[in-house]
Parts: sequence; structure tokens; C-alpha cells
Amino acid sequence: MSPLIEARDLHRIFHQGRPDQVEAVKGVSLAIEAGRITVLRGPSGSGKTSLLALLGAMARPTSGRIFLAGRELTSLPERFLTDVRRRTFGFVFQQFNLVPGLSARENVMLPALPLGGPRAALERRAEALLAQFGVAHRSRARADQLSGGEAQRVAIARALVNDPQVIIADEPTANLDSALTASFMELVATLRASGKTVLIASHDPLVFGAAIVDRVVPMRDGRIEAGTP
Amino acid sequence: MILNPAVMALVGGAVVGAGLVGGAALQGAVILRRWDLQSGSARQLELERRTALVSTLVGHALTFQVLSLFLFVFTADALAPQFTGAMCAAGSLKADPHGYPALLLMLGAAVAAGLWLVVDRADGRGHDYPLIRVKYALLLLLAPLVLAAAAWEVAWFRGLQPEVITSCCGSLFSRTGRGVGADLAALPPRLAGAALFGTVGSAVVAALVFLKRGRGAVVLAALSAAALVASLAGIVAFVSPYVYELPTHHCPFCLLQREYHFLGYPLYGALLVGSGAGMGVGLLSRFREVPSLVEAVPAQQRTLAKVAVLLLGAFAGLVAWAVLSSGLRT
Repeated sequence: MSPLIEARDLHRIFHQGRPDQVEAVKGVSLAIEAGRITVLRGPSGSGKTSLLALLGAMARPTSGRIFLAGRELTSLPERFLTDVRRRTFGFVFQQFNLVPGLSARENVMLPALPLGGPRAALERRAEALLAQFGVAHRSRARADQLSGGEAQRVAIARALVNDPQVIIADEPTANLDSALTASFMELVATLRASGKTVLIASHDPLVFGAAIVDRVVPMRDGRIEAGTP
Repeated sequence: MILNPAVMALVGGAVVGAGLVGGAALQGAVILRRWDLQSGSARQLELERRTALVSTLVGHALTFQVLSLFLFVFTADALAPQFTGAMCAAGSLKADPHGYPALLLMLGAAVAAGLWLVVDRADGRGHDYPLIRVKYALLLLLAPLVLAAAAWEVAWFRGLQPEVITSCCGSLFSRTGRGVGADLAALPPRLAGAALFGTVGSAVVAALVFLKRGRGAVVLAALSAAALVASLAGIVAFVSPYVYELPTHHCPFCLLQREYHFLGYPLYGALLVGSGAGMGVGLLSRFREVPSLVEAVPAQQRTLAKVAVLLLGAFAGLVAWAVLSSGLRT
């Protein structure tokens, strides 16, 4: 089976040519299969967040190419890349990045607004997602009034609003206790069951050690550790 | 040199625009040599990032190039009272030998810039930079024209001295005089009028045919170019006397003045943009088969054809109105 995402010899250099130049990703080649849960595991500074940003089309590599279902992504002009990013990837961030002044429902609707479509249908979709993750009763609460667990679920609902093929989560359990982390992994299992591809960057043993994880990619110093399949 | 806000804006714009286009042309030379979309090298990715920026900057510089043609003529007209003998832009442009070459270079640069912008827009509609080599090859051809237009424009402004004695438009565009202006004024008015309406009408019909059948893009382009030339000549030989209601006055610049309701601005604007749009339809027809543009190019051609119909139709309507409402009868 051909991979859903394929990275070829990716390099990502920050502040190139300056004294503080940092090469965060060093020649990474990786294939991600569809419908599986893959975890990038590594300590802080190992390059997993940078690699996640490249694979999710949020950043461009310094060199190397990324293919999504056989289509080359890195050369796409920004307007095309933005469209691919919106429709293909859903993001869950470490701090959840909910917009404080908006309600939970408005936060969920946010990534779908640039795509247009009837507002009433979008509101129904947001409510359905909030109900799916058990936070429908907090729909009208402002984001800054949500508890950690509620914010996490709203963030996942937001990642799903455009029905993306791939869910990308960067250290999603960094601010959660063990119970909420277990709850998060249960939600991830339901995403996989519904056919989503899940890509997580984490150094939390409760994440990369979970039974539902299909593959762990260990990283260190910007590289995938030797011997990784 | 005469300093006023418009002159400073034009000189500043010309220098900045020429710098941007010149720099972009150098970038274009690198792209023509090194572009390889199959490569994932750092150099290729750098070129991909840079071309988006260059395209945006050049797009703005060339849009200014088109608009500055009108500001240039407006400024030349506004400066006329500074020169002995000048009645309008015709005399101002004659006050220094760089004036008329600058105008012609700016006109040529404006038309070429408009066509480049058409190609650039089409290139932006494809996901794989489908016209990048064509675009930068055209930029290499266009850059010397833009640089020359800027150089002559600045040279003209630098050469202008107040109180210099110059010719008025009555002598420059006199049927009995010498020079290109006089030759144009001496054209048979009925023939010039027929050529104007004939070419503009044919271009509008060709654009309508293209909109209905999707064919005849090259014919439309040729007729649009012919309409531009015939109309510029026709304005001198045929239209102007009707506007001024004076059979001996053929100046194409007095049309820009308040006494004639600034008729020249909509007239020249509609002609330049309308004919440019028609030429753009033909230029794009070369790229209809490019795989990533099979939907975008026909849509862009249709938009341009509609612009050509609208603006060339408006131009013909304005000319007809000027002739029919005139007190001059020949």
C-alpha cells in the first residue's frame, strides 16, 4: 500500500546563515500509512515538533520534499497549500490555542469559516462535534471559562470540523493529568476507528506506550534514530 | 528640473519601479538557468519561495507603470503654463527632447506590462508554476523597456527649464506641419474615422464571437492591436476636431483638459485597457493546453474578452457621442 504521507530527505534550518543557526530536522525520510496512529517520540529539542509542522504543511522545509497521497506538497504556491492544509489536516496544539473571547462553538467553527458554506449548517456540525466529545452543554461558554479537559475536547472538535483526513497533535497531553491523558487516547482510538490518520508528537509514555498506537518513531537530534523501521 | 508633488511622485515611482523590475529580471535569469521542480534541493526551494515575493513586487511595480502613464500625461498637461508657447501637454513634452520618446516608451511599457500581468495572473492559477519560464523570459524582454522608459522620463523631468520657449499643439499637430503629429493630423478624416470604428467594431465582434464559441482568440488579439493603433491615429485625425469644434485643431492632449470635460482620460483609459485585454486573450491562447491551466486559462480569457467588449464598446460609444454632439459639421 502506498503511504498517505511520504517525506524525502527533509531538512529544516532556522536562522540560516546566522550565528544562531539551528538545524532542527536533519535529513528525515519517513512514510506514514493511512488509517494508523503514529507517534513521533523524542525529548525536547529532538525535532519532532518541527517535523510535525512540515508534515502538516504548516511550514516549508529548507530542502527535501513531502508527498500527500502521491501529490507533491512543498512546491505548492501558498494559496494551494493553504487549501490543502485546511481540507486535509486538523491540528490539536499543546496549549490548545482556543481563542479566549469566543465561545466553544465559535472556536470549533473557526477553521471552517474561510471555506464558506451556510452558517446554520456549520453551527449544526459544530454542535454535533461538541456532543460527540461530551461537551455540548459547554457550547456557549467562552473558551477561557473551560476546564483543561473541556478545552482539550473542544480543541479536538475544532480539529475535526473540516472532516480532515489527518489529525495532527503536538504534545496534546503535556498539560493534562493521567486520567485526562487516558481519556484523550480513548478519543484518538475513536478517530482511528472512523478512518482518520493520526500523527502525534509526544514524549509522554502514556501516549507512545498506549496499546492503540500502531507505530512509534523515535527521534533524537533532528534525526530518526537508527534501526527504526 | 521643475519640482512639484506629481513630478516627485513620478520620478520616485519610476526609480523604484525600474529597480524592482531590474532586480526581478536578474532573478528571472537565475530561474531560467536553475529552475528544476523535480529537485528538492535547498536552492530550488529557495527559488520557489522567492518567486512568490518577486511576482508580487513586480506585479505592483508594473501596475504602477500602467497607472503612471496617465499621471505622466496629466503632469505634462499641468506643467504647460510654465513654458512659453505651450498650451497643453503637447508643448510641455516638446520643451525637452526627451519628452516624446519618454511618452512613447511609457506607452509601450504600459501595454507590455499589462500583458505580463495577464501571464503572471495565469501562472498564479496553476499549482505547479506552469508559466514560470515564460513569465521570466518575458520579464527579461520587458525590463529594458521599463528601464528605458524610466530613464527617459527622469531625463525629461531633469531637462525641463521654466520659461523655455516651446511649440504649441496647434503647430505640432497641424495638417501643414512636419513630423509624426503633423502626418497624423493630415490623414483623411473620414478614412481615419472609418479605420477607428472599423477596427474597434471588429475587435468587439471578435470578442463576442470568442465569448460565444470560444474560438478566434488570435484574431481578437490582432484586431485589438490594430484598434489601438488606428484609434490613436483616429483620435488625432478624426475625433479631436469634433471635440474642439474646430476643423484645424487636432491635438490629442487638449482632450485631457477641463474645458473638454477631461474626456481624454476615459477615452484613452478605455482604449488602452480594452485593447490590452483583447491582446491578452490571444496571448493566453498559447497556454490553454497546459495541464494545470485547462480550467483557469479559459476562465481568464472569458473575463478578458468581457473587459474588451465593455471597454472598447465604451470607447466607441464615447467617440460616437463626441462626434454626434459636436457643433462641427463637415
